Amino acid sequence: MPVNMIVCCKQVPDPEAPPAVFKVVNNKMTLPPEVKPVIGQYEEFALEAALKIKDTAGGKITALSLGNNFVRDVIKKALAVGADELVLLEDKAFEDGDSWSTANALAAAIKKIGAYNIIFCGRQSSDWDAGQVGLGIAEILGIPAVTLARKVEVSDGKAKVERVIPDGYQVVEVTLPVLIIVTSGIGALRYATLKGIMAAAKKQPAVWKPADIGLEPSKLGAAGRRSKLDKLFQPVKESKCEIIGGDTAAEAGAKLAARLREAKLL
Amino acid sequence: MDFDLSEEQNLTRQAIRAFAERQIAPIARELDEKEKFSAELTHKMADLGLLGCFVPEKYGGSNMGYISYAIAVEELARVDASQAATIAAGNSLGIGPIYYFGNEKQKQEWLPRLCSGECLAAFGLTEPDAGSDAGSSRTTATLEGDYWTINGHKIFITNSACPLTGVIIVQAVTGKHEDGKPEISCLIVPSDTPGLTAKEMKDKMMWRASNTGELFFDDCIVPEANLLGKRGDGFHQMLATLDGGRLSIAAMGLGGSQAAFELALQYANSRIQFGRPIGSFQVNAFKLADMALEIELARNLLYKTCWLRENGRPITKEAAMAKLFCSEVMRRCVHHAVQLHGGYGLMKDYEVERLYRDQRILEIGEGTSEILRIVIARNIGVSGRAI
Ligand SMILES: Cc1cc2nc3c(=O)[nH]c(=O)nc-3n(C[C@H](O)[C@H](O)[C@H](O)COP(=O)(O)OP(=O)(O)OC[C@H]3O[C@@H](n4cnc5c(N)ncnc54)[C@H](O)[C@@H]3O)c2cc1C
Ligand SMILES: Cc1cc2nc3c(=O)[nH]c(=O)nc-3n(C[C@H](O)[C@H](O)[C@H](O)COP(=O)(O)OP(=O)(O)OC[C@H]3O[C@@H](n4cnc5c(N)ncnc54)[C@H](O)[C@@H]3O)c2cc1C
Repeated sequence: MPVNMIVCCKQVPDPEAPPAVFKVVNNKMTLPPEVKPVIGQYEEFALEAALKIKDTAGGKITALSLGNNFVRDVIKKALAVGADELVLLEDKAFEDGDSWSTANALAAAIKKIGAYNIIFCGRQSSDWDAGQVGLGIAEILGIPAVTLARKVEVSDGKAKVERVIPDGYQVVEVTLPVLIIVTSGIGALRYATLKGIMAAAKKQPAVWKPADIGLEPSKLGAAGRRSKLDKLFQPVKESKCEIIGGDTAAEAGAKLAARLREAKLL
Repeated sequence: MDFDLSEEQNLTRQAIRAFAERQIAPIARELDEKEKFSAELTHKMADLGLLGCFVPEKYGGSNMGYISYAIAVEELARVDASQAATIAAGNSLGIGPIYYFGNEKQKQEWLPRLCSGECLAAFGLTEPDAGSDAGSSRTTATLEGDYWTINGHKIFITNSACPLTGVIIVQAVTGKHEDGKPEISCLIVPSDTPGLTAKEMKDKMMWRASNTGELFFDDCIVPEANLLGKRGDGFHQMLATLDGGRLSIAAMGLGGSQAAFELALQYANSRIQFGRPIGSFQVNAFKLADMALEIELARNLLYKTCWLRENGRPITKEAAMAKLFCSEVMRRCVHHAVQLHGGYGLMKDYEVERLYRDQRILEIGEGTSEILRIVIARNIGVSGRAI
């Protein structure tokens, strides 16, 4: 059975950039221009999960992304590796949302895309790490969600999913449509082939504005937040060095143990 | 004028860079040390579509154009010159002649297999007594009935003696023109043809994970239909093939220069002597500035030449310039990079050591720097054929 899939993927600042270049100014994160965006690591796993199903069962993959200032050749990687279509929710109004307003907008877009059997999300975005959007979408759409998937197989209108748990994995079966949140166990995203890149170059993403998905600007982005960001700051790390001596090694050891207990580290 | 790369060109760079860093970099040093051609890696590169870069999809190619092709080779060479050599020769010297000069039947027979990486094609031009003077080939092919009989000896032929070698394009003398000059033609010779023996050439200084072979033709017989293009067109086919090949050698010089620069910059910023990073001494900062400057120029010249090629313009002069300049820029870049690394740059633990060796071929293969200066001189109005 060909499977209709939607993969939510986010463009994030390259997490490999050295932490020192990230600065917080007026409660907002700023980045120097040399930090290039990439598709988030977990979203890449989500894409790979969908591609694996397309390899075996066939079907169609629509990549969906919300943001502003998409770098076309970054986000089009989704098409280059094998997604069939790309939908971008791209507007200033989508900026500075929280997990709720993001899930709300993505769910509205998914309704507009229409027919789907599986929605794939990454476990968390590599920039904010909130890890809530997937479950939010499932809630709004009223469909089941399975988290922490490391393997997904589809047959007879059902998905069999292996879920990672602390001491092993669990196998669950769920009826479609379903939202599946993917973890790293699924395996790294395949490389784009040059033919895939050439095919992607010929495709144009659909760009949707708030009106296209029937949402009021007041429900979107910063205006649609339900959580408020009080304070964003970079922790100041202090390091201090204390030399603990003693006439003999045993004495120094005993003093060190006492000092560590005092600091509540032992 | 527009200096922006297209989406697919940027995507190509990202994809090949990611592949090269993850799949090639971890084993490049070992392959170099063991002087080992990797069929497995070649297959992985073929799976990405790296063979058949300028071939239409109907023959199994990826039809990405020459700028993307140069970017792909550049990114491979940034990590490992040997793998870049396999791909550059496989495309420009192997697939190129069949695609550009072959008839429909020959294209159907070979291109899908070559583009998928099932096998590699090699270009047999150089002989022990015919190097720069490639027109002085002594290998002969005589037509008797419906068959060509080939006799002769080729040397330094990339991709010609490895497990994946499938076919050799052989340049041979097939007769005499009326003016007494040799008639030169190219023949398609499957590598399992009786009478053809291939011997791997070992103990190279550079490109040690790229396969180089010596070929012996001893009454090697192929059907008349294996003639590539028209009889007597061989010399022209060879010149056109080398024009294309020079773009890919230039791309290797560019990628190697980029690697040398990145390594040198990183080292110069972190190595402390006399209480300061060595990059903060002006003499060293100037080296890095020169490298960055020359790489910029090399890249512009190469991409422009690829653009000319994509737009069907003549490129003989520009391709010679790009190959000459990129290979000499890399010479200066690896020289500076090793110098900045001090004693450590001479050790195999440091990547600049391999870059330094791999640069050397670039001023020799597919036209030595001297021959390229001759080509340029002839194309800028300097009089006299014997320059
Ligand atoms: C690793 C490797 C891979 C190769 N792959 C291939 C391949 O796939 N196919 C292929 O056919 N060949 C291949 N070659 C051969 C290569 O193209 C030749 O080595 C090159 O053309 C030079 O020829 P030569 O080595 O005989 O040197 P020579 O031609 O003997 O040159 C020796 C020196 O004399 C100089 N010289 C020669 N003529 C002149 C002149 N008229 N004016 C001024 N100086 C001159 C040269 O510039 C050079 O410095 C490869 C070589 C190597 C090393
Ligand atoms: C094969 C070999 C044999 C050797 N044998 C011996 C031996 O027998 N005994 C021994 O003691 N050592 C030996 N050496 C070490 C050798 O002397 C050092 O490698 C050399 O002095 C350079 O030091 P370095 O490698 O630490 O480079 P660095 O000093 O780190 O230099 C790196 C770069 O920075 C530049 N640089 C450094 N300071 C300045 C400055 N103030 N202004 C401008 N540029 C600067 C250097 O010129 C160089 O380009 C040997 C090295 C090798 C490779």
